[in-house]
Amino acid sequence: MPITILPPKAFRDQPPRHSLNHDSDDVMSDATSDSEDSDSQPGGVSLDGGATIHPRKRHRSGAGAAASSTFTKRPKTNAAINSIPRSAIVTPGERITTDPQWMRGHGTYLSSASLGEQAITSSLAGIVTRTNKLLSVRPLRARYTPEVGDLVVGRIVEVQAKRWRVDVGSTQLAALPLSAINLPGGILRKRTETDELQIRTFFAEGDLVVAEVQQLFQDGGAVLHTRSLKYGKLRNGVFMAVSGTGGGGGVVRSRRQVWTLESANNGGPIDVILGVNGYVWISKHVEPVVPEEAKGQTGITNLEEVVSATMYSSQNDRIEPETMREIARIRGVVTALVENGLRVDEDMVTKGYNEAVELALVSADGPEDVYLGGERGEQLAAALTAV
Amino acid sequence: MPLDTSAYSLALLRVDGRRWNELRRIHAQIRTQAAADGSSYLEMGHTKVMCVVNGPSEPGPRRGATSGGGSGGGQSKNAEVAVNIVIAGFSSVDRKRRGRGDKHILELQSTISQALAASLHTHLFPHSTINISLHVLSQDGSLLAALINAATLACVDAGIPMTDYVAACTAGSTSTYAANDEGADPLLDMNHQEEQELPGLTVATLGDSDRVAVLVCESRVQVSRLEGMLAVGVDGCKQVREILDRVVREKGIKMIQEGTVERGVGLNDMELD
Repeated sequence: MPITILPPKAFRDQPPRHSLNHDSDDVMSDATSDSEDSDSQPGGVSLDGGATIHPRKRHRSGAGAAASSTFTKRPKTNAAINSIPRSAIVTPGERITTDPQWMRGHGTYLSSASLGEQAITSSLAGIVTRTNKLLSVRPLRARYTPEVGDLVVGRIVEVQAKRWRVDVGSTQLAALPLSAINLPGGILRKRTETDELQIRTFFAEGDLVVAEVQQLFQDGGAVLHTRSLKYGKLRNGVFMAVSGTGGGGGVVRSRRQVWTLESANNGGPIDVILGVNGYVWISKHVEPVVPEEAKGQTGITNLEEVVSATMYSSQNDRIEPETMREIARIRGVVTALVENGLRVDEDMVTKGYNEAVELALVSADGPEDVYLGGERGEQLAAALTAV
Repeated sequence: MPLDTSAYSLALLRVDGRRWNELRRIHAQIRTQAAADGSSYLEMGHTKVMCVVNGPSEPGPRRGATSGGGSGGGQSKNAEVAVNIVIAGFSSVDRKRRGRGDKHILELQSTISQALAASLHTHLFPHSTINISLHVLSQDGSLLAALINAATLACVDAGIPMTDYVAACTAGSTSTYAANDEGADPLLDMNHQEEQELPGLTVATLGDSDRVAVLVCESRVQVSRLEGMLAVGVDGCKQVREILDRVVREKGIKMIQEGTVERGVGLNDMELD
């Protein structure tokens, strides 16, 4: 069987991807996912040339480019699943526009398209967003990027002379200066050298804190503060890490990140803290204890004073088994939400929890059953999305 | 078992039945590990590799460093790309034990690290490290190319900004160096058997362009054959890029469909105003 094979020419003379594509397309189409094959190509093997398989059209850097369309248009292929065009997302190296009226934002960079022409190019796989004349690409998934005012849950990883270094799931460790915490013995006390020497008595390595982002450095590092009764050391609960704001489900910024949930089955009140960075803390709700002698005196400063004495304790309170079970159930709800790609916020967690309690009632093990993985999780997610 | 190169000229088919310009089946997945920042799994024929990316993140307190409250000004302004390769003992036919300091692995690591550091926008992440961990599960030639492709996919999944994909493949020549055959055809994407006998090179390019990011040639080959091999390799890289791009796009569209990510402004919508 004679097969003529052309010898390769010098690369410059070849039109881009022509000599190779003919035979290799059937090899390549194996790599396409099932959804694409089943939707549009019945045989699963494409006999077409490269053009339909690769909908990317190169931007023409001709003279008429500026006058005509300024966006690289890609034809909508029928390969796109359920009417979401492939242009819904951009991938690294994809030209977004060469039009100079747009400014480039996060997730993009300028590349030279042709002589003297700069193209805004995506550097991420994500979706294009537009704020007035600013084009940016939001990634499908990325690490948390701190913003001033965010409520975060973090873990102390390092103790330095005048500050702690806190892991908040960002690209850099956040700093928590000694001057930015509520020191015991009265609010707004100046820090002293004694405090510096006792720095480990406030927070030590491995402690969990809830804090707020106070300030950002130029390079993206964050400075935290815990100067409120809402913030401080975390006890009596369970920690979990899900993906945070910045991509792909998980915790979203919302009106309320912290709330107390009245649990079912005699569990008592339970605090849920959803850190914007995707770290979640679920704990037993403990009312601040005010000793008898302090009751007579009034004033908010006194309350602060009394509370701050127990603030840096690492000793857990007694937690009833019922409470523990409900904490575990809430944790299961959050995990199920994340696994099924749903957002995690107050509304969803509360609804999901109520749904989970209902699910447990009909399960064989009764209300003690907190398992929410696998099919149960899917059932839960389906119930939530149906509403 | 020696490769019978004489058969090629009869049917112009290679040992595994491919023509000179055909890639093997490439199958890839991203987001295979939920706990990692980015992850991928890639098969090029029977070469199977897995990649996990962690970071960019700041390493904790360094051992031996004085915790004197320094501002950390001594650290670099760019993120460091640390690559770690583990080759499983069962990955090849002969069960070779490779130590931690194996020269071959070290070279692979530094090649991948340099190639990615050039493409990733490391200046956006000062004082941090991007940890890329690669596991080789099965080897059948084109190992470096598969590792580079898997690492690129995992970095895309991790949402680390980059100039463009770094896509790699191998190219070889149909006859050995000793045969001194001027009319030898170039070959695309070599498997293990071909790699053993024939001269070959690994080439990686930056995205759609002809810019070569990696070029590794470890065998003797006549210089006259090199141009053809390189041209075929570069063209192969473009095909690989399309395949990788499609994997990422499909995952992205699936995420939009599931509602994990809300839809943004489509490029076509923007044209309206």
